[in-house]
Amino acid sequence: MPDTITHPASFRDPSGFVFQWNNTYYRQVNKIYAEDYNLLMGSGLYQHLLGKDHIISHTETEEIIAEPANWYKTLKPFQVPFITYPYEWCFDQLKDAALLTIKILKASLDHGMIIKDATPYNIQFVNNRPIFIDTLSFERYDANKPWVAYRQFCNMFLFPLYLEHYLKTDIQKTLIVYPDGIPVDITSKLLPLKSRTSIGVWLHVYLQNTVTRNAGAAKDEVKFNKRKLLNLVDHLETTIKNLKSRSSRSAWKNYYAETIISKKYLQAKEKIFRKLIDEQEVASALDLGANNGYFSGILAEKGIQVIAVDDDSRSICTLYESHNKNILPLVMDVANPSPSTGFSNAERPDFFERIKTDMIVALALIHHLVIGRNISLQVLAEWFNRISKKLIIEFVPREDEKVQQMLASRKDVFTNYIESEFESIFSRYFTIKHKQTVPDTKRTIYLMEKR
Amino acid sequence: MTIASILLYVDPGSGSYLVQVIIAAVLGALFYFKTAWWKIKSFFTRKKKDAHPKNDNLNA
Repeated sequence: MPDTITHPASFRDPSGFVFQWNNTYYRQVNKIYAEDYNLLMGSGLYQHLLGKDHIISHTETEEIIAEPANWYKTLKPFQVPFITYPYEWCFDQLKDAALLTIKILKASLDHGMIIKDATPYNIQFVNNRPIFIDTLSFERYDANKPWVAYRQFCNMFLFPLYLEHYLKTDIQKTLIVYPDGIPVDITSKLLPLKSRTSIGVWLHVYLQNTVTRNAGAAKDEVKFNKRKLLNLVDHLETTIKNLKSRSSRSAWKNYYAETIISKKYLQAKEKIFRKLIDEQEVASALDLGANNGYFSGILAEKGIQVIAVDDDSRSICTLYESHNKNILPLVMDVANPSPSTGFSNAERPDFFERIKTDMIVALALIHHLVIGRNISLQVLAEWFNRISKKLIIEFVPREDEKVQQMLASRKDVFTNYIESEFESIFSRYFTIKHKQTVPDTKRTIYLMEKR
Repeated sequence: MTIASILLYVDPGSGSYLVQVIIAAVLGALFYFKTAWWKIKSFFTRKKKDAHPKNDNLNA
């Protein structure tokens, strides 16, 4: 038996599993799934989805067999560079993932197949577009049966989108605690009264809540056909297309446009930043506190794959809508990164275990962590050392107007928050390769390398 | 792998079968009424359209 590692999230589906060998991900197709796999490949469905960039490509290989007893095929899929989860996506990312699932379902029905599950965990973002990654989700369509994954689709996609649409608040983060999606009873209690005027909410939420509560396990001999299923699917599609996230201006959306920070500052900072990255040979970067992605864009111009992280979902949605292929925007609080979740805390690894990049960019971030969140420079330096090989970091000093604003409403206990202290603490963990003050400000940009 | 465990996996939404039947029926009924409404509407709008050229002629 070769030395393979089965992916810790790949145990639910008996059709096969994902494993790692020589740092490459493979997928074993088990005998039990042989017929459906052949139908996927033979019906033209796989080619159709591949042509539309809806599904990741794979090649069949015999170079490795992980579990011979059940083995039918080994697939070597396209290696997705960064794995992300719906609780790190913005509203529009989840919405696009939902619409992709519907498209795949419809294409499957056209080819005599159906998808047996409907979860955002089967979708990843590549080139800033959603793509389906679970090759084993397809099965032969039985026209007499409704869609087995309807409830899952509602819980995982429709309900979070509904809640965000009607409540105009970030709700996707709650998917961390609801790995199977937000249950219908909770959704029906959370939705405001005005949602009751929507026929979609009435059918998919309130009706479903009433029926599933009262129907028990009754599922025998229901009459269904393809026309009915298509009506249902079309309705889901139209409903989702019409859902919108909060339109209200976020606190950060116009950060660069409105704050005390002048255009001159931005230009000067950009000049320093461009010079610094021109000298670096990096393939990927993580921009922490990316805001609207101004500096992520500069990195992306150089062909660097950028993960742009910010806690403000509006900024991230705007960045997502810019369709920059080299930027993967994600919603996350830097001071509270996504934890490891799922069975045995191993199904979905924590953020920094998943996202490894050559460089970390932290511009105008540190004062938010030190003064806003009471994280000391010492703790921060240790943390940055753990996650970065190269670090571009901006120190925003105490005299800065922004910091003064933050200190105005609280007791100043940050006596060591000064540039010399910052340098001395970070020097224990990093070698300072470059240091430059942004002209006409007291802000300084550093390039550091891990010791 | 036993059959029971397979069913457990592929059957996550069985309780939702009945809901889908009802929703499909409601959507079907709505579609029926919508089509009927369109027919009535187009009957009248067609009449209006017929009236248009006459108006144009009058204006001319």
